[in-house]
Amino acid sequence: MSGPDGASVLSRRSLLNWLLGTTLGATLGAALYPVFRFVIPPEVAEAPVNRVLAAKLSELPLNSGKIFRFGARPGIVLRTSDGAVRAFSAVCTHLNCTVQYRPDLQHIWCACHNGHYDLQGKNIAGPPPRPLEAYKVDVKGDEVYVTKGA
Amino acid sequence: MRNPPTLALTFALAASAALAAPPAGTVRAPGKHAEDTCSACHLALDDARLSTPAKLTDNDIHHQQGVTCAGCHGGDPTSEDADVAMDAKKGFRGNFSHQAIPEMCGSCHSDAAFMLRYAPNIPTDQLAQYRTSKHGQALAKGDTDVAVCTSCHGAHGVLPVSDARSPVYPTRIVDTCGRCHADAALMTRYGIKGDEIAEYKQSVHYATLVKKNDLSAPTCKSCHGAHGATPPGISSVSNVCGTCHLTQRERFDLSPHKDAFAALQQPACESCHGNHAILHPEDTWIGVGDKQVCGGCHSAGDPGATAAAAMSAALAGATTAIDTAEARVDRVRKAGMLMDDADVKLEGAHQSVVLAQVQIHTVDPARVGEQTKAALSDTAAAGKMAADAEAEIRYRRTGLFISLVVIAVAMVALILKVRSIER
Amino acid sequence: MRVLESLWRALDERLDLAPLVNFATHKEVPQHRHSWAYYFGGLTLFFFFVQVATGILLLLYYRPTAEAAFESVQFIVTRVPFGWLIRSIHSWSANLMVLAAFAHMFSVYMLGSYAKPRELTWWSGFALLLLAMGFGFSGYLLPWNELAFFATRVGTDMVSKVPLVGGWLLKYLRGGEEVTGATLTRFFGFHVAVLPMITTALLAAHLAFIQRQGMHIPEGLEEEARQRKAIRFVPNFMMREGVVWLAGLAALAALAAFFPWELGAKADPFASAPAGIRPEWYFLFMFEALKLLPSHVLGIEGELVGLGVFALAGLVWFLVPVLDRGSRVGHRSRAFFVLGWLALAYILSFTLASLAGVFK
Repeated sequence: MSGPDGASVLSRRSLLNWLLGTTLGATLGAALYPVFRFVIPPEVAEAPVNRVLAAKLSELPLNSGKIFRFGARPGIVLRTSDGAVRAFSAVCTHLNCTVQYRPDLQHIWCACHNGHYDLQGKNIAGPPPRPLEAYKVDVKGDEVYVTKGA
Repeated sequence: MRNPPTLALTFALAASAALAAPPAGTVRAPGKHAEDTCSACHLALDDARLSTPAKLTDNDIHHQQGVTCAGCHGGDPTSEDADVAMDAKKGFRGNFSHQAIPEMCGSCHSDAAFMLRYAPNIPTDQLAQYRTSKHGQALAKGDTDVAVCTSCHGAHGVLPVSDARSPVYPTRIVDTCGRCHADAALMTRYGIKGDEIAEYKQSVHYATLVKKNDLSAPTCKSCHGAHGATPPGISSVSNVCGTCHLTQRERFDLSPHKDAFAALQQPACESCHGNHAILHPEDTWIGVGDKQVCGGCHSAGDPGATAAAAMSAALAGATTAIDTAEARVDRVRKAGMLMDDADVKLEGAHQSVVLAQVQIHTVDPARVGEQTKAALSDTAAAGKMAADAEAEIRYRRTGLFISLVVIAVAMVALILKVRSIER
Repeated sequence: MRVLESLWRALDERLDLAPLVNFATHKEVPQHRHSWAYYFGGLTLFFFFVQVATGILLLLYYRPTAEAAFESVQFIVTRVPFGWLIRSIHSWSANLMVLAAFAHMFSVYMLGSYAKPRELTWWSGFALLLLAMGFGFSGYLLPWNELAFFATRVGTDMVSKVPLVGGWLLKYLRGGEEVTGATLTRFFGFHVAVLPMITTALLAAHLAFIQRQGMHIPEGLEEEARQRKAIRFVPNFMMREGVVWLAGLAALAALAAFFPWELGAKADPFASAPAGIRPEWYFLFMFEALKLLPSHVLGIEGELVGLGVFALAGLVWFLVPVLDRGSRVGHRSRAFFVLGWLALAYILSFTLASLAGVFK
């Protein structure tokens, strides 16, 4: 392209090419970046709805209990004096307070209105009308997995 | 008949019949009703008063255990001859007077060794308890309008207490007591208002019992006693309520109210919560104003009223904070953000409010405040998580807006390029 | 660059790409006052590509069972990086694809492009529209939320009204008598395997027909097209189409940003239907009409009459290349032209009125 403004035409064209290339590239990048991030699995590989790593066995001494989380709801995993590991929903069946383990009574106890559950989750004293929902426990090495639907 | 073998046989049969039939008034081993001539005859009678008891024997626990008509009424249950069967010499006692019933039932039910044969763990103190009750005391003075054993348990067709059809099954007790106690005209004779049954039916205890089928919920006998039925004395009210509501009772005992109520000779729990129409307590009850419970003893400006105002304010503040935080978290959750951590915090806040409400019984604003402060801290955390999520949503929008700009510029560049190659 | 050239040469040696290249470089797109309508088909195709891509991505995390479906979508939207974006785009692109398909179909109809020799293109196209609506209906259930569950129940209820085979059809669709997890799994199978397979085949055919026959110039515009000169497909039309596709992309980004697709509440088969269930907007024009019909018309159930009318209308629409005798000889009938406007007016007015809440 020759002419008085031949040089500027050329640079205008290459500017346009540059603009086109850059914006299309940016669009492509903006489209591909989320895809790339998406396909790499997140830290928590699956929705913690049915199965959760509740505790480490080494952190659960005999005659003790620990609260863990099942999504947004609390669960309690306990180890009896003879070593058995059990897990229940920690939502008290009376008014939904979070229960705790009482090693002195060897009961699961609710501080709100003094509800007592035995080591099978059965309501034995106080206002709770129903037993605690029991969960399935699988111990793999040092890891204690709790699954809903015992 | 003169035949010796036939004679011997007849004699043997008569002897065995005589040996087999126990003396009247004593208990027989479980046998078939067909051998019980009382039912057989009475069933066929026209008079309902006489035939109905016989119709009820199938579901009667006494009959099932082998204590049939003769077991209480005496007489000879093997004879088909009415005069023989109902012969006073055979021990027949006929109908019982109202006065005689407790002793009659007690003749077996208070005998521990005897009851051991049928139900090793059944209580045997009913008669002793009954004698201490208002019913028993009135009966002893000659009042035949009061309840005796059969008034509540029935006489014929008696079912075990665990049978849902029994008039003394937990869900049915209130209506059984109500047969007399709901009759205001009858109750005025005893200085009882007569509205207690109606009031109880408005209560949370009744609702829990019949709607949630929670048989551990209190009914008339739970507070008044079953056989020793007596209204709790003023000083024993908090003991009675405290058998189930232990946490509240323990807090109450720490408070100045314990001694104050004792000194005033006022029933503790009842003064604020009522006795029969016990409703679900509301936070708004705390204070000296209209429809509030503290004004019965306290007046505005005194230390009690000040404490009440402080506790009320603390609770109201915590509840409002929870509602606001919940609404905010819900909005963000609906927009697709993960709010599990916020939910956990809000659960904790709810629990703190429950604990605060129990602490009200200490009437100590500091203790109530401890819990409401914990609730506020949790709602603040939840609120912050909601705010972070809102910020994330805004960040996403900004990012997408920027990409829109990039695309728009790309479109412009492309259009210009098309123009340029077509020139 | 040189790598690409030698790669091209290697392929050409083996596959003889010259005819293809020749075809591509000589393909032309006529220009006339209605040639803007030519973009709709490509736009529909663009949204379809977006659906395939985002659909495959969602497949990496989605679980097609009643117990896990909702939670898996929740997982995608809350825990997977940009999962919220992929999901929102998939839901919006579905709607935009159907919208573009309707625009494409109506513009083709109005321009009379169904006329001989393009009947096959029309028929494959109509089938593709039905497939797109099938994709929409089956996909809508997959998050297993309340609205989707009840909308599916109402929608599948309709097929039971078909005489003779209605009951069998219902069981086939639902995987049972009721809408259950079995329905979800079945719809998932339709959505990711059956429908894509049929669509790919029909789409390939549809595109092949167009390449073979070239673009249709509407009746009466042949002179204008001759004067305005056609433009080359490569690169001119393609670049213009690129602008349209970028606009589509921008629309998706804007919708995902300002109207993100909600999650709702998990479906509870035992709960009562919430107020205001209705199908997706592209079914509304039929849905509202069916609701307006009286319970019985001349002794036959109202809904059955309605379905019958729609089936008949669909059949007429499908057969228009045959029914419109004039189109076979280059003069499409005025009656069918007016019919097209009436159909468009009906669909538009009922859809908009329903969305505006006129039918409450």
